[in-house]
Amino acid sequence: MSRLARWRLALRLLVRDWRAGEQRVLAAAVVIAVAASTAVGFFTDRLSRGMVNQSADFLGADLVLESPRPIDEAWLEQASARDLKVTETLQFASMVVHEDALQLAGVKAVQSDFPLRGELRTAPALYVPDAPVDTAPEAGEAWLAPRLMQRLQVQAGDYVEVGEHRLRVTRALTFEPGQAAQAFGLSPRLLMNMADVAATGVVQPGSRLSYHYLFAGPEAAVDRYRNWLADRITPSHELVGVREGQRAIGSALERAERYLGLATLVAVVLAGVAIAMAARRYSERHFDMSAMLRCLGASQREVLGLFLPQLALVAVLASALGCLVGWAAQYGLLYLLRDLLPVAPSGTRAWPILAGFATGLVTLGGFALPPLLRLRAVSPLRVLRRDLAPLPSQAWLVYGAALIALLLLMWRYTGNWALTLAVLAGAAAMAALLGLLGFALLAIGRLGQRQVGVAWRFGINNLWRRGWGSVAQILAFSLALLAMAVITLVRTDLLDAWRTQLPDDVPNHFAINILPEQLDAVEAFFNAHDVPRSQLYPMVRGRLTTINEQPVQRAVTKEAQADNALNRELNLTWTMQLQEDNRIIAGRWWRPDDRGQPLVSVEAQLAERLGIGMGDELGFRVGAQAFSARVISLRTVEWDSFRPNFYMVFPPGVIDDFATTYMTSFYLDADDKPLLAELVQRFPAVSVLEMDQLIEQVERIFRQVTLAVEYVLVFVLLAGFAVLFAALQSSLDERLYEGALLRALGGSRRQLRAGHLAEFALLGAVAGLVAAFGTELLTWLLYTQVLHLDYSFKWLVWILAPLAGALLVGAAGFHGIRPVLQRSPMLLLREG
Amino acid sequence: MSDTRLNTIIAARGLGKRVTTAAGPLDILSDIDLEINAGESVAVLGVSGSGKSTLLGLLAGLDLPSQGEVLLADEALHLLDEDGRARVRGQHVGFVFQSFQLLPSLTALENVMLPLELAGRQDARSQAVELLARVDLAARETHYPKQLSGGEQQRVALARAFAMQPAILFADEPTGNLDSATGKRIIDLLFDLNREHRTTLVLVTHDEQLAARCQRRIHLDGGHIVAAPVEPR
Repeated sequence: MSRLARWRLALRLLVRDWRAGEQRVLAAAVVIAVAASTAVGFFTDRLSRGMVNQSADFLGADLVLESPRPIDEAWLEQASARDLKVTETLQFASMVVHEDALQLAGVKAVQSDFPLRGELRTAPALYVPDAPVDTAPEAGEAWLAPRLMQRLQVQAGDYVEVGEHRLRVTRALTFEPGQAAQAFGLSPRLLMNMADVAATGVVQPGSRLSYHYLFAGPEAAVDRYRNWLADRITPSHELVGVREGQRAIGSALERAERYLGLATLVAVVLAGVAIAMAARRYSERHFDMSAMLRCLGASQREVLGLFLPQLALVAVLASALGCLVGWAAQYGLLYLLRDLLPVAPSGTRAWPILAGFATGLVTLGGFALPPLLRLRAVSPLRVLRRDLAPLPSQAWLVYGAALIALLLLMWRYTGNWALTLAVLAGAAAMAALLGLLGFALLAIGRLGQRQVGVAWRFGINNLWRRGWGSVAQILAFSLALLAMAVITLVRTDLLDAWRTQLPDDVPNHFAINILPEQLDAVEAFFNAHDVPRSQLYPMVRGRLTTINEQPVQRAVTKEAQADNALNRELNLTWTMQLQEDNRIIAGRWWRPDDRGQPLVSVEAQLAERLGIGMGDELGFRVGAQAFSARVISLRTVEWDSFRPNFYMVFPPGVIDDFATTYMTSFYLDADDKPLLAELVQRFPAVSVLEMDQLIEQVERIFRQVTLAVEYVLVFVLLAGFAVLFAALQSSLDERLYEGALLRALGGSRRQLRAGHLAEFALLGAVAGLVAAFGTELLTWLLYTQVLHLDYSFKWLVWILAPLAGALLVGAAGFHGIRPVLQRSPMLLLREG
Repeated sequence: MSDTRLNTIIAARGLGKRVTTAAGPLDILSDIDLEINAGESVAVLGVSGSGKSTLLGLLAGLDLPSQGEVLLADEALHLLDEDGRARVRGQHVGFVFQSFQLLPSLTALENVMLPLELAGRQDARSQAVELLARVDLAARETHYPKQLSGGEQQRVALARAFAMQPAILFADEPTGNLDSATGKRIIDLLFDLNREHRTTLVLVTHDEQLAARCQRRIHLDGGHIVAAPVEPR
């Protein structure tokens, strides 16, 4: 038989089988697997490429120098002398007020040539398409992030107040280079002109400011300048080049890809199970054909040559469709994560399609090939003896192929063999445990079947009889339900935990940047309005630079080097009075004669992380000045109390001479919020942090990320349905025959329907129970070992998961079984 | 044996088939020596379980014997691997089965075309159309086996069996699933075609009347060829 003829015949067989519904489940499973992985693939590819393409663009420059205070003019002159373009931005947090609404914003003041690289994108109003602009806000103008506009209920043309200055809102700011540096940042942006900064009155000595100096120019010049700067900057400066910016986002993206990828993998594995089941049935349905072909003189190769092209065609067509679905689905991800994207996504590219096809082929190859290879081994003697089935595929071949397929797919997402194997082993253990549980529940159901009606008995019997097939379906659905339940629970519980940590009457606002000369006025303001508040603490911003005269980076362990406390300025304070929730666990608190002595009290957890002990000599740098102090006590601090707390506390008279601002925390209930507007209008330099808003912002990010994962989990659920339909299909002949027989024996259609309904509802309910058990186990592990949340029994899951399972699986299974009810028993017996 | 070639086309020597059962080894066939000449029609008779179908399977190269050897169209089947035997079958052998064995996913015409297509014949379609017409099923070309009666299905199977103009046709109880009237029409057709194509016919049956239409009858009992007709038990 010529190759062409064989392909033609294969195609014809495929079309016939397709009409008969043989390969639909197989194809659907491939579509699901490919769609899930390409959706994530397209999404991450567009973002990571957006990142590479816009590496300089999203930084807004080729090099950025960040500093908490203005830098030496000479440094800028040096840059100009090297023909580098220079522009300056100033960033600070400030309350923005519009009528009664106020919102903490991340304010960025820019010069008119901002940005040096890339471009700003704006829209003339909310909800209209944006476009690039080549200017920055004029003096007197403000461009607001859409979220800020919504929050303040402002439209283009309205005025907002930043500190003491009024700015006219002219545009919605949709994308801004430099966003990357604060990727996933909390406060929405307000962009204004540098010329207006002075008028706001926000910038005062000691204010928490961040000066960014942007440089751009030929690569070599930038590199030389960078080296020149590197020799001069102090630890309070930070140099960010294109590479550093990329790395930061790169690692965030990589993490996102990993989580989404693992969720995808569950879908792919379930699809694989469906594929294996469907392929097995397909193979068994074609034993006769294979035997006949052999009888007619076809060689083993020719037999495979007829079936494998069909598989290949299904793989290619289904993968193509899957890619299309995945391509469409990525927009869902982009939409869900729209506020969090660190860069504008780039255009779509072809490689996720290739990866999608590879996923399709690997899944199909790993799960469908072993059962199909059995077709080759069918003996021609089967034409005489129908009972003659080929030897079952060797177990190692089936599981080996599937395992290799799995490992390959998993490795793609984790990129790490140790992690791959660990995840695989964990998943296998979980699957085994849940599978056994499902089996046990079926066994219990079987014991109880004498107590139930005929429909339920029929259902229980059917499930029990198809033993492992039923367990596979239970497992598939319980995994899907479990993943969704865990994600939802973790989200709500985490958010609840954050909320409940804010009991009534506990300070729910922080006021920072209170200037020393306003101290009395601010105190008077609080007293006049009867606002309960904590003590006012002085704050000096400085870095920890040495431990026992060793530079900190060298003095601490490798893990500790990344500690946030080492990489930013700390808030240093002094007080004579130990805060009420602080406890000294080593050493002693200040005695009156410690005043002015170079001593320091260190927060205990930080001390432990950095390996700081009693008597150690700590070196600090505030601005350009360095000083040191000896550790005289270690304190525990209740960070959850929302009172001002500090890592480093000095006795009075040590750091008092540095530029100081004050902070306090206070309680305001929702009705008193207008007071905030009054406060920031009277004291424009003061920034107020509203805890409820902070929590809301964290919640928003968290919700979006978990929604994105849940979005991918929909594919897991779909794959669960593919498993159900594959299992249904493989038992359909048997069910058709039984149904006909039951009807012939006088059973009514209603009885038959009730029996099937009972079977699938039960299957779903058992899957739900197994999921509830798994959820309980997993959340317990997560809460006690990772998240440190209070674990409580999730009774709602035990109700909802079985209910959802029974409804979903009941409906889907019932839909799949319609032919059994619709066919006349007569017809069946004739065919049989 | 009038006008056909007199050379041997099937020869079996010392043929035996032993299977292992739970109760120990069981000889289904033993010591079968047999020669069938080209163009001859031979009936293999015997009751259920006498080893008829096993003998047919061995002679057609569908199975391998435990002892002895089969020469089919001058090919020693025991020296060939499965693919080699498949080639021999494709070149020289046609089959008709009790259960018709049409492929349910192919139409009547496609079923007849299949062996021709497997052999890479360009004229597969026209040949198949012709053969279907010969078995009076021209109107049923596009029907699937499910849509045909038992007699019609067996006629399609006959057309398929003769499609390659095989030297040898093996028929396993070809009327076993049909009523007697339909069975008779099928047998008439079978013998007509056999004559037209000068095919060697090996017919397995338990039906003495049907066997009587063959030139030679071989009786099997308990796996042995017996000389005299066996009385029904």
